[in-house]
Amino acid sequence: MSRNGYDAIVIGAGANGLVTAHYLARAGKRVLVVEQHESPDPSLDIGWVPAVIVRDLGLAGAGLRIQEPDPWITAPLEAGGTLELSRDIERSAEAIRRISPADAAKWPEFCQRLRRLAGVLERLYLAPPPDIESNDARELARIVGLGLYVRRLGKQAVIDLARILPMSIAELLDDWFENDALKGALGALGIWHLKQGPRSGGTAFNFLHHHAGSRGGVFRPARSNITQALSSIPGVELRRGERAAVLAKNGRASGVVLEKSGEAILVPLVVSSADPRATLQPIAFELDPEFARAVDNIKARGVVARGTLALESVPGYATLCIAPSLDYLERAYDDAKYGRDSAAPYVEVQRTDGRLELHVQYVAPGTHEDLTHKIARALNAQPNQVQVQAAEESLYHGELTLDQILFMRPVPGWSRYRTPIEGLYLCGSGTHPGGGIPGAAGRNAAREIL
Amino acid sequence: MKRYDAIVIGGGHNGLVTAAYLARAKQSVLVLERRPRVGGAAVTEEIFPGFKFSMFSYVVSLLRPEIIRDLDLPRHGLHILPLESTVTPMENGDYLAAWGDHDETRRELYRHSPRDAEAYDEYGRLMHFMAQAVKPILGMVPPDPTSFAPGDLVGLLKLGKHFRDLGGERLHALVKLMTMSSADFLDEWFETDVLKATKSASGIIGTFLGPRSPGTAYVLLHHYMGELDGVFRAWGFAKGGTGAVSESIASAARGFGAEIRCDAGVSKVIVGNGRATGVVLENGDEIPARTVVSSLDPRRTFLQLLEPDHLPSDFVSDIRRFKFRGSSGKVNLALDSLPSFTCMPGVGRQHRGAFSISPSLDYVERAYDDAKYGEFSRRPYMDIVFPSMIDPGMAPPGKHVMSIFVQYAPYALNGGWTDAKREAFGDAVVNTVESFAPGFKSLILHRQVITPLDIERITGLSEGNIFAGELALHQLFFLRPAAGWAKFATPVRGFYQCGSGTHPGGGIMGASGRLAAMRILKDGT
Repeated sequence: MSRNGYDAIVIGAGANGLVTAHYLARAGKRVLVVEQHESPDPSLDIGWVPAVIVRDLGLAGAGLRIQEPDPWITAPLEAGGTLELSRDIERSAEAIRRISPADAAKWPEFCQRLRRLAGVLERLYLAPPPDIESNDARELARIVGLGLYVRRLGKQAVIDLARILPMSIAELLDDWFENDALKGALGALGIWHLKQGPRSGGTAFNFLHHHAGSRGGVFRPARSNITQALSSIPGVELRRGERAAVLAKNGRASGVVLEKSGEAILVPLVVSSADPRATLQPIAFELDPEFARAVDNIKARGVVARGTLALESVPGYATLCIAPSLDYLERAYDDAKYGRDSAAPYVEVQRTDGRLELHVQYVAPGTHEDLTHKIARALNAQPNQVQVQAAEESLYHGELTLDQILFMRPVPGWSRYRTPIEGLYLCGSGTHPGGGIPGAAGRNAAREIL
Repeated sequence: MKRYDAIVIGGGHNGLVTAAYLARAKQSVLVLERRPRVGGAAVTEEIFPGFKFSMFSYVVSLLRPEIIRDLDLPRHGLHILPLESTVTPMENGDYLAAWGDHDETRRELYRHSPRDAEAYDEYGRLMHFMAQAVKPILGMVPPDPTSFAPGDLVGLLKLGKHFRDLGGERLHALVKLMTMSSADFLDEWFETDVLKATKSASGIIGTFLGPRSPGTAYVLLHHYMGELDGVFRAWGFAKGGTGAVSESIASAARGFGAEIRCDAGVSKVIVGNGRATGVVLENGDEIPARTVVSSLDPRRTFLQLLEPDHLPSDFVSDIRRFKFRGSSGKVNLALDSLPSFTCMPGVGRQHRGAFSISPSLDYVERAYDDAKYGEFSRRPYMDIVFPSMIDPGMAPPGKHVMSIFVQYAPYALNGGWTDAKREAFGDAVVNTVESFAPGFKSLILHRQVITPLDIERITGLSEGNIFAGELALHQLFFLRPAAGWAKFATPVRGFYQCGSGTHPGGGIMGASGRLAAMRILKDGT
């Protein structure tokens, strides 16, 4: 314990930072969490909340609510009416049958096959990534065990895994379905937070990643108040409105300095849930040049704008998806490729706690004058009903592309939450398993640290 | 009627390689080719009197050295002439050049970016190493991860060890190459846009992907695996055109005793009791054989030569799903004299190498955008060479031939390909060249425009895909052409596949043909 009484400082009070902090605290450490924002951003709590975290940290008693809307998506149809997909596979098949009997017939098997693959990811995600370079017998046994687990799921699962992960979501959906509205609504999940279009390889993996944690036939992650629940359980000290930078010298972390006050807090253990680039670039002089270059090379291109929609009355849907076809999404991406905002963006409206939240893609970081008009046009709404925040760099601190997952995340060979700076760890979305699974990286990191 | 030990369907380079290796092992072999000449997509034809063209495939580099050695191809007339430089004209009138001389290339790069000139050597070393690391896999029969057979388990373990032995840094580079887009991969190394554009172009060859599409970095590497006379990543022309490569393999096969029959298209494989027993020719003749090998692409091999009830239904749907999506065209021109490019006026050594029309990443990406929505590129990516500058025998004295490889021309063009559309595509190509070399159009004596549909019609390659199936990650290795059937055998006993639609895939490589022959000899059927 250092003089100030803390054993560890965690930078960032998002779900991952708080989960790490609580796991460390449960192991007897005195932990201070420093957060730059004054209040939590509830719109970030989208994704699978692993049951093991809820159990370990007693979140159920802390008021954790997980919203799983039914139907989980409503997509307007060109010919009028909507396509509504429900949590019940049969009911969704009924809805799909009205637009395509052939697609309806395939729906149950599609859901079952993808559910099985998502199960493999879930298993991978609740532990540090396999270390394929390791010569440690236990690690090798774990990798072999994982291989056997997949093989036991059957021959088809092995083939699906190898075939589907590198595919584009468009190829995957075209293999199964014919209806544009269905493929658009599903395909949108494949491009979530990614600067890739539905025809780009690896988007099928992104689709599967965001399916993890959901039941079969539900292809939108749940939404929760996990950050709020984590903030309300005792055990860690939380200081808001302070931006902290890591102090490092001679390859060792010595604490943090608070930027506003200039106050230095010295501790032997610093864990950052912030973007790996933001954490490490300011101390690049302490890093090996190869490692520093790998950090600079992390792709984390922001493509999502978030905001709210104000309607006079509460709409009938829980989640409205404007992605009428895969081509619509691809054209939206074409604009992004050349550095423009999508002329016709993919827009999703999520109703939560009396608010209507917007997810708009593709939007480059920064503020954009005519963005509200484009969004309003896509939604058939008035521009003054749309409010958008300035778009940020990738919320996932690193795009979930195949070259940035597992043992390649956040940078190749440093996937075990450690950094070359002794005493400095990472625990945010930039680490395995990445964004969209609040708390999973935080728990894995804490277990590695301990 | 004579019963052969083996009949090889299709006299493309892979079929000929299989035939040569089988004949070398003292089997009686018959090659059946539908066209009047062997070669498939590696043919030289005198399209206009006095002007000879490598009609489709036009450069050689990937041909496996062990095949050249085993079959003693130089003795059978194979002679490769080096192609030394690449010049990329830029929209602003400048250029980027890579010359045969390494120091000169470095100086040229330095002119664009000192930083890139520094990175260039390190990049070259990495790619060289990665290509070496992947090469053994090209010569390996892919183990099947869905099988519990001891051979497959051992194969998988060996493969795992091979990768682990690469060591961390290189293993990570390999993962990146297997998964990234060529644009993203090159972004990690270079800043000069025109350099990235020109390098990324080899990542899109034969694919229906743009330089920003993940998966293209692998194709980049695939093209780095070339080796000529031990010189790494050297591209060259065969003297007499690529047809001469096929002719030399054919000559070697004949030398070992194989028979080659042209104008002999096969319509069906005869199957009795789940076993191939021979073939039926298009003229109705039946020829019996102990083993039948198809070098055609997977779609034609399984969906055309066989009846569906000869095959398991899962396998049939896998083959139906196998993607071709031809995206490349070719324009062959007879020229009165050589064109002068604005960026490097006059006629000179630059004409002994390639001109790459890839002035920027956005340019190439836009060319892809057109194709994505079913149109040919209005301003396409092109790889231009003048074979008559290297082998004067290709054109009459003083005249020249010009070969333009073009992307993108989608097989599934909106409204379908017509004669008018073909000419419009040809116009887009020559007009684009004209914009970089004013006056070029007036030098054209004859023009041949080849669309993916033409490639399919002439060579039989489905959808005109030059690799007999896309080189996409999910169609490689143990998934090429379908899971469980990537080891050259097929669900029909005595029937084998040996074309580029099997591991390791396209380019004039011959590796599929050789591996298939090894497999057949090992099975001893």
